[in-house]
Amino acid sequence: MNLREFNRILREILIVPIIALLLLAVFVLWQIKTTADAQRWLDRSDEITSQIQELQRRIIDQETGLRGFQLTNDPAMLSPFKQASAPIDKQFNVLHDLLSDSEEQSKRLAILHDRYELWLGFAQSVLAKDPATIGNPQMNQHGNELMENVRTVVHDLLHAEGRVRHQRSLAAADLERHELIVILISAVAIGLFLGLFARIRFRAVSRSYEAAINEAEKRANDLFESRQWFKTTLESIGDGVISCDLGDRVQFMNAVAENLTGWHLQEALGQPVEQVFRILNEESRQPAENPIEKVRRLQRVIGVTNHTVLLSRSGKEYRIDDSAAPIRDRNGKMTGVVLIFRDVTEVRRTEAALIAGEKLAVAGRLAASIAHEIHNPLDSVANLHFLIGHEDDPSTRAEYLQLAQQELGRTMQISRTMLSLYREPKAPVEVDLADLLKGVLLLLERRLAHQEITVERDFPASLVIEGFPAELRQVFTNIIVNAVEAVGAKGRIHIHMERVPAEEFRAAGAVVEITDSGPGIADQISENLFQPFFTTKGEEGTGLGLWVSLGIVQKHGGAIRIANSANHNLHGASVRVYLPFHTLASASSRSTAYLRE
Amino acid sequence: MPQSQTILCVDDEALGLQVRKTVLERAGYQVFTALNGQSAIDLFKKTSVDVVVLDYFMPGMDGGQVAAAMREVRKSIPILLLSAYIDLPSEVIALADITMLKGEGPDELLSKVKTLLIRDDARPEQGSYR
Repeated sequence: MNLREFNRILREILIVPIIALLLLAVFVLWQIKTTADAQRWLDRSDEITSQIQELQRRIIDQETGLRGFQLTNDPAMLSPFKQASAPIDKQFNVLHDLLSDSEEQSKRLAILHDRYELWLGFAQSVLAKDPATIGNPQMNQHGNELMENVRTVVHDLLHAEGRVRHQRSLAAADLERHELIVILISAVAIGLFLGLFARIRFRAVSRSYEAAINEAEKRANDLFESRQWFKTTLESIGDGVISCDLGDRVQFMNAVAENLTGWHLQEALGQPVEQVFRILNEESRQPAENPIEKVRRLQRVIGVTNHTVLLSRSGKEYRIDDSAAPIRDRNGKMTGVVLIFRDVTEVRRTEAALIAGEKLAVAGRLAASIAHEIHNPLDSVANLHFLIGHEDDPSTRAEYLQLAQQELGRTMQISRTMLSLYREPKAPVEVDLADLLKGVLLLLERRLAHQEITVERDFPASLVIEGFPAELRQVFTNIIVNAVEAVGAKGRIHIHMERVPAEEFRAAGAVVEITDSGPGIADQISENLFQPFFTTKGEEGTGLGLWVSLGIVQKHGGAIRIANSANHNLHGASVRVYLPFHTLASASSRSTAYLRE
Repeated sequence: MPQSQTILCVDDEALGLQVRKTVLERAGYQVFTALNGQSAIDLFKKTSVDVVVLDYFMPGMDGGQVAAAMREVRKSIPILLLSAYIDLPSEVIALADITMLKGEGPDELLSKVKTLLIRDDARPEQGSYR
């Protein structure tokens, strides 16, 4: 049940009884009116009776007056007679009106009037006659008869009216009883109806209230459960999590966050997040921009920031990766920010170890070539030394010495090239990529020759960029050795290098493209090529070469792309390395690859 | 001096090969040289050779392949396999009588050649010329 339905029921509970009671009141009023009507008819009968009795009294007064005059002949005796005359006429008129609704009684009244007129005529004739004849008994007899007739009709009238009144009285009593019963029944019916109605509606309300309480309780339980669920999840993950409101006040932090920041949740609650989560830039040691600030500014998730050091309350420092995301309400309005960070101190150390290891692995991959390059001249030098010892001819000895010198020079060159793989300046220096590639090819010369691999060098005599030569040498050694391993005997490798102008998102720089005649790259592995420990060479590979190469190139501000060659003559893999002319990298710049997640 | 024993020297390094040849000639051997595997095999078929001093790492056919081909011609031919690094495949080592690291010096070379010749003399000839 929703609120609208609830309000409708409340309205019904108010309005329905009012309407029912109004109907009852109208009904009762109607009943009262009916009773009043019946009472009026009774009153009318009483009025008629009293008027008839009044008329009768006046007529008797007149007759008494006339009789007194007849006996005494005293005119004073006639005064009642005369006085009653006018009221009697009026009385007749009143009765005429009152009895107009009853035909029978009207007829009786007319008869009475006629008989009274007859008597009155007699009385007039008595008064007009000679006083000597007034006492005539015969006359008196006639007068008495006439008056008796009047009396009979009056009696009839009274009797009839009495009957009518009796009937009306009985009917009124009946009506009253009837009405009482009807009113009682109606009241009881309305009462029952209202009771039942209220009961039904209240039950509906009560049921919905109960349902609402149950629902609320269930929701509270669900909410608690889901809070526990998320809390436990957040507590159990290995990342530090801090969430804060829009005022940058800490609202929550998990155990990992407590550990790393050195703050307990209870202390940190409500504190400004910058105070709890203090971060510095790893290189500049300046306070780093708070990711929460950045999320508020950009209104979106921000990814992992690197080179960040978290300063714990205890003074301990942790290298961290951090990211932050806005918390939004149902309408998409931002209500807070959640900050996620992890301690990568160990990861960075491991990465550094892996990178150092990979450097050695590159040397290992060159070992066969280098050993050959060094042992061959050494062998000649040893043999020449032996010959010099047994040679007497000075000119032949000089020739041997010169040959030995030449062979030692070659050894020096090889050793110098090899060492340049490791010696690294502190800041980027000018590197001639053409020289660098030539050096790499020199180290691989023997191996290339052994496999009868043709290397097509399609690059300018000199192309200078800024960078770290040893690292770049490592990158190209890796890529070229991969190509050598891919093409097998009698394969072909094409190395192309050119300058590229600046584009919208890229500075001017150099692109080195190394294409081989090998089998190319299978689709399913192309996306894993840069993942650490991914190798197609089984036990032979470390799986770190391209990962480290990508890291180095990215550090220089460049990029690597690997695809299958579009060249018709060379169908293998094509690796394109872009390096900008100027780099912002420093010796301490991060050199691990950023990989797409 | 007895009739000099013949050695076939194979290496793609021209200078190294030349110096090695001089050292061996100085010790009294007759030395033939070849700069790659194929010409070495051709030469081996045409000439009577007592010992082969073979470089492993060469363009085209490597020392292992050359040794295998020679063993097909003459199964017991003594072969000294030279290499610039230690990590030779075991099946290649099995093909050679003795292996030697380049740079070990001429004394070592001469002593190993000598060992091979003595050993070769001591056993009956099993191979045959085709």
